[in-house]
Amino acid sequence: MCAGVEKLKMKLKKILGVSSALCLCATVAQAQETNAVEQLQQQLRQMQANFEKREAEDRQQIEALRKQVELLAQKPAAVTNPVVAAEATNSVSPGLFKELSDKVDNVVEAQKKSLPGEFNPAIGLVGDFLSSYHSQSADKMGSARPGGFDFWARSVELMASASVDPFAKGWVVANASADAATGESTFGIEEAALQTTSLPGNLTLTAGRFFGEFGRLAYIHDHELPFVNRPLALDNYIGGESRTDGGQLNWLVPVDHYISVTAGVGDQFGGDSPNPNNPGNFRAFYGLNFWGRASTFFNLTDNWQLEAGVSGMWNPKTQDRGGLLLQPNGVTTFTEKERRLAGVDWKISYVPLRENQFNSFTWGTEVLFSDNRFFINPDVTIPSTGYEGSVGSLGLYSYVNYKWSRQWSAGFLFDYLQSAQNHDDETLAYSPFLTYAWTHWNQLRLQYTHTDRSAVSGLKPDDAIYLQWSWIIGAHAHGWTQR
Amino acid sequence: MKMKLFLAALIAALLGTTQVNAAKVRVVATLTDLADLTRNVGGEFVEVRSLATGIEDTHGVPMKPSFVPLLNRADLVVLVGFDCEHAFLPALLEASKNPKLQPGKPGYVDCSKGISPLEVPKSTDHSEGDVHPFGNPHYMLDPVLAKTAVRNICDALVAVAPEHEADFVKNRDVYLAKLDAKFVEWQAALAPFKGTKFVSYHGHWHYFAQRFGLVYYGTIELKPGVDPTARHIEGLVSSMKADHVPIVVREPQFPEKVPALIAKQTGATLIKLPIMPGGVPDTETYIAEMDYIVHSFVSALQK
Repeated sequence: MCAGVEKLKMKLKKILGVSSALCLCATVAQAQETNAVEQLQQQLRQMQANFEKREAEDRQQIEALRKQVELLAQKPAAVTNPVVAAEATNSVSPGLFKELSDKVDNVVEAQKKSLPGEFNPAIGLVGDFLSSYHSQSADKMGSARPGGFDFWARSVELMASASVDPFAKGWVVANASADAATGESTFGIEEAALQTTSLPGNLTLTAGRFFGEFGRLAYIHDHELPFVNRPLALDNYIGGESRTDGGQLNWLVPVDHYISVTAGVGDQFGGDSPNPNNPGNFRAFYGLNFWGRASTFFNLTDNWQLEAGVSGMWNPKTQDRGGLLLQPNGVTTFTEKERRLAGVDWKISYVPLRENQFNSFTWGTEVLFSDNRFFINPDVTIPSTGYEGSVGSLGLYSYVNYKWSRQWSAGFLFDYLQSAQNHDDETLAYSPFLTYAWTHWNQLRLQYTHTDRSAVSGLKPDDAIYLQWSWIIGAHAHGWTQR
Repeated sequence: MKMKLFLAALIAALLGTTQVNAAKVRVVATLTDLADLTRNVGGEFVEVRSLATGIEDTHGVPMKPSFVPLLNRADLVVLVGFDCEHAFLPALLEASKNPKLQPGKPGYVDCSKGISPLEVPKSTDHSEGDVHPFGNPHYMLDPVLAKTAVRNICDALVAVAPEHEADFVKNRDVYLAKLDAKFVEWQAALAPFKGTKFVSYHGHWHYFAQRFGLVYYGTIELKPGVDPTARHIEGLVSSMKADHVPIVVREPQFPEKVPALIAKQTGATLIKLPIMPGGVPDTETYIAEMDYIVHSFVSALQK
């Protein structure tokens, strides 16, 4: 009996278990079915909403097209607001319709033409051609160009620039010019540099070959100078343009007043300096060139401005830079040991807000102090490591330029130089000049230069007349440095 | 003790100033018309500076280093676009080292967005002078197109300060309504003179002429940015006489001599018109400037 009851209980338990499991399955299945239905309903609602939205958009488009057709057929719809009417007329009048249609065609055609080159950089070409007459022969004026009559394609520069990526831009300036001494055309890379565009902290890093920021005009290309020739002090102390292979960091000081600070390091400084400094087998850190500049700006009035800066350049170990430097006496030689250069510059300009394209005045000055140290060899028979000394020399240039029309301007440049190797070797030069600019891209300049040299140089005074023709084709940017 | 108090007061003042400034959207507009529109839309929530004072040529705003710190700290730069500011803005933006304001970034507010330019050149060769590759940029002299600029400015302000969206939108609508009302007035004033031809020194007036039914006859300068030659002046005078062109417009930033000569030789009336607010006295806002332009035309044509 008991056994039968137990069996019955067991069966009941099994039945209950199975039925419970079935109920649970049914509930789950029902729940799943409910979810599926809800999903389908939601999908249906979404599709319905999308359909209605599309239908509304189509209706709007149809309505807009209908209105345009009406207007084009010169059956204007009743528009009571004249401003709305004006805006509508602006978009669909028959004349404008044709104009827009032509523009679209032009754009499509332009895209077809430009697509293959759309990643190409902006390209510009600058030509700088000089014709001149010098009263002295080359050996009597210490020039690489001949005396008398001369024609010289001084430089043809090909410039290309573009963004490299979201973080940097790059540019290249390739220069093909006739060698001053031989007349042979030479081709060189004058600049090839990368510059960051998104560094934090108001910083910009430039690296590669570029014109280091020193002074006022050292980092300006020849054709952008306000006169024909680079000032003597820049040629003698820097080596022409401040070209360097290196890196430079610029910081815009985060204050309300404009203050810019630059520091750089490179293995040469000066385009006409020996290039690069001969490092020998191993270059120590102090064999590099270090330079820096701080500049600021003041609005004296709305129309008068003052920009001023101080610069410095130092190369602690430069004995390999130029080799032996023969002195003008033809006997004594120097070997440069350390290069030290400091400068202060300012530019006062009158830039009338209203008519600055037709009228302006600039007075710019830069004073440089060179204090290079040398191994001095007073006698060529004695090895050149016996004696050290420094030569402190002063050089400066100052110029004024007055523009009285869009085309015409005239100015005067004064040069004074004590040679970096011998401060008794002085040169003075006076250069009035007259510029005629047909346009931004095409200008002629006439300049007369009288140069006086001290007797110690062994050179003669010289009178020269230059006619410069410079031109630009292609891309032409109004850069920050040319301001 | 006094020194400590002074320093504390100074720090508090500096902090206070910073907080006040921080609460405002800092906007640099290239030209005075855009600065005025931005002030109207932004109201008390913006601090607006203009690079131009109003008397400059739109293409000849001097590239002053003092603009660099302004741009360095700005949240938005508002510009005309269509390459109008090519002579000064790209270099200033690069020198500003402000990544927010670079082209393509939200802080670079090109007001030409949505405007169909006139005079898009078929060629950008310099034989055509200093052409604008994207078309004539002087659309701000059309008050209807200026409304597009207002909307673009509003959108940019909302994007940078969404917490003030309601105020910006309200200000925008109020200003647009004011502009609409003035437009009706200007249109009515110039309506009797539809078809009147005029010349100007530079091609500033194509949009204005089209909007008010006037006929822009030509420029005194030979090509954009290139001064007229004697032959060009001679040809212009001859054709102006033949076609009875009654108005010579001189923008104040250009020399008076040649426009005055042409006016004298053709018998046309010479009028001096600003190209942005502040260009001549009593035109400190966009509406005042347009008032001045319209009334100058009407006065000259009623003579």
